[in-house]
Amino acid sequence: MTPVEWAIVALALLGAFFGAVAAIGIIRMPDIYTRAHAASKSDTLGAVLTIAAVALALESSLSTVKAVFLVIFMFLTNPTAAHAIARAAEDQGIEPWTTEDEQ
Amino acid sequence: MTTSDAFRLLVPVADSVTVRNTVAYAVDVATEAAADRPVELHVVDVASTRAVDPDAPAELAAASDLLDRVEAWVDEDTGGERPSNLSLVTEVLGADQYLFSPGDYADVLLSYADEQAIDRIVLDPEYSPGGAGPMLRPLTIELARGDVAIEEAPVERRTERTVLTRAASLPKYLAVFGASYLFYMLLSAWKPIDVFTGFLTATLVAVLLAPVAFSDQPSFTRVAKQTVRMAIYTPYLFKEIAVANLQIAYVVLHPDLPIDPEVVELKAAVWGDTAVTTLANSITLTPGTLTVSVTDRAFAIHSLTAGSRADLFDGGLERAVRFVFYGREAAAIATPRERGDDGGHSDG
Amino acid sequence: MVEFSTSLLAIAAAFVLFAVVALYRVFVGPTIHDRVIAVNVAGTNTVIAIALVAAAFEESAFLDVALVYALLNFLLSIAFSKFNVEHGGVL
Repeated sequence: MTPVEWAIVALALLGAFFGAVAAIGIIRMPDIYTRAHAASKSDTLGAVLTIAAVALALESSLSTVKAVFLVIFMFLTNPTAAHAIARAAEDQGIEPWTTEDEQ
Repeated sequence: MTTSDAFRLLVPVADSVTVRNTVAYAVDVATEAAADRPVELHVVDVASTRAVDPDAPAELAAASDLLDRVEAWVDEDTGGERPSNLSLVTEVLGADQYLFSPGDYADVLLSYADEQAIDRIVLDPEYSPGGAGPMLRPLTIELARGDVAIEEAPVERRTERTVLTRAASLPKYLAVFGASYLFYMLLSAWKPIDVFTGFLTATLVAVLLAPVAFSDQPSFTRVAKQTVRMAIYTPYLFKEIAVANLQIAYVVLHPDLPIDPEVVELKAAVWGDTAVTTLANSITLTPGTLTVSVTDRAFAIHSLTAGSRADLFDGGLERAVRFVFYGREAAAIATPRERGDDGGHSDG
Repeated sequence: MVEFSTSLLAIAAAFVLFAVVALYRVFVGPTIHDRVIAVNVAGTNTVIAIALVAAAFEESAFLDVALVYALLNFLLSIAFSKFNVEHGGVL
């Protein structure tokens, strides 16, 4: 592999790390709101890093444009979706988990 | 109390974006008239359900709540000391019958006006009792049956309307057409047929969606300026996002899961759909904070750790978003904490 | 020596694994919102996996699939939460 390809793989691996954080966060966090934290932040960064790697890996300019669009979509839609879900949960009166609930 | 020569004003109210200003206008009219004769300001809420209905307690509670607020507003507008000859009457009407059409509402209002010898009715332009659609026009026509003067309060309609569809103008159609054509062409293979199908698709999109696309008139210079400033904002946002993710990764992978979540409220000094959305999404993407809901300008924010709450009220993001949308001068603003908003927490 | 495309495919497989992990939350819940957000994460991971496969096979048409899937994923979350709010949790 060329150095550029190593860099691409490294970028994608970094993205995969944050993807893993998102998945683990979804499982470990105690309530819907904290899970939304993991889903919105880590998953967005994981997606952005990995798709940036994809944009670098694909040589044609058309593919790069598509990948850039994908990144922009992820940026706009992921937090919005997390916000919509959290708001729906709040509307239904689901109380946020606090440290007192642990005891 | 009901002296015959008193000037009596009737203001029907319901929850709407302009109700506050309508009350302010009515108080203006009333205080002016109160200079030379006694004035009675009647503020009424017309209930659409009957008091025996299962829904009624909720509606009646909302109505009396609104009337309480109106009373507070009147006090506020008269500077705390009402002129002695200005009296305020608040009443819930129509709780004894079902009301459906504007005619029904007009009946209730007119019979009340008759009873109380009302001289003039001041209408809220966005008056829509029962949460139905706007009913100003039909109601005005129905009210004309009576012999009371009717006036629409000359208040400015706010941009925060509930209606989704707004009248589309040519620049809107062109902007939507151009944006969708560009998007189509960027993703196409640039064959001649694509130019044609792209044109058709963009036309269809523009015709169907231009009425719902923008809340403000699109302006090229404003968008260009905001795009440039957005480009300056993006690196800062990226840095914040990187920090946020390292923090989340630390919290998630830590064996003890060290979190202390709490919902706080932030009153941000931004307005307009795009700016509020940008700030809300930026808050969500940055360390330990997640926007749960936005009502007007009050953001309910779920924060993961105490440190993230402190950062939030330092207002870095708010300043950045103000910079993007309103320019550099607007960015120099006191932090939310300095403005006395600390989300209900005290700090040293 | 590791092949470039093989390593991309391996990372894609990792993302598929994360999606499957997120599915655990879809089954367990407990609330509908937990399920929706887990489906959203699984969907995002799927989009990333598709993009990686596109890069591995040098097949830019796969990116169109990823693009459409990303939009559908967003619509799904919005529609679910919207429906939940307005119909008091019919779902």
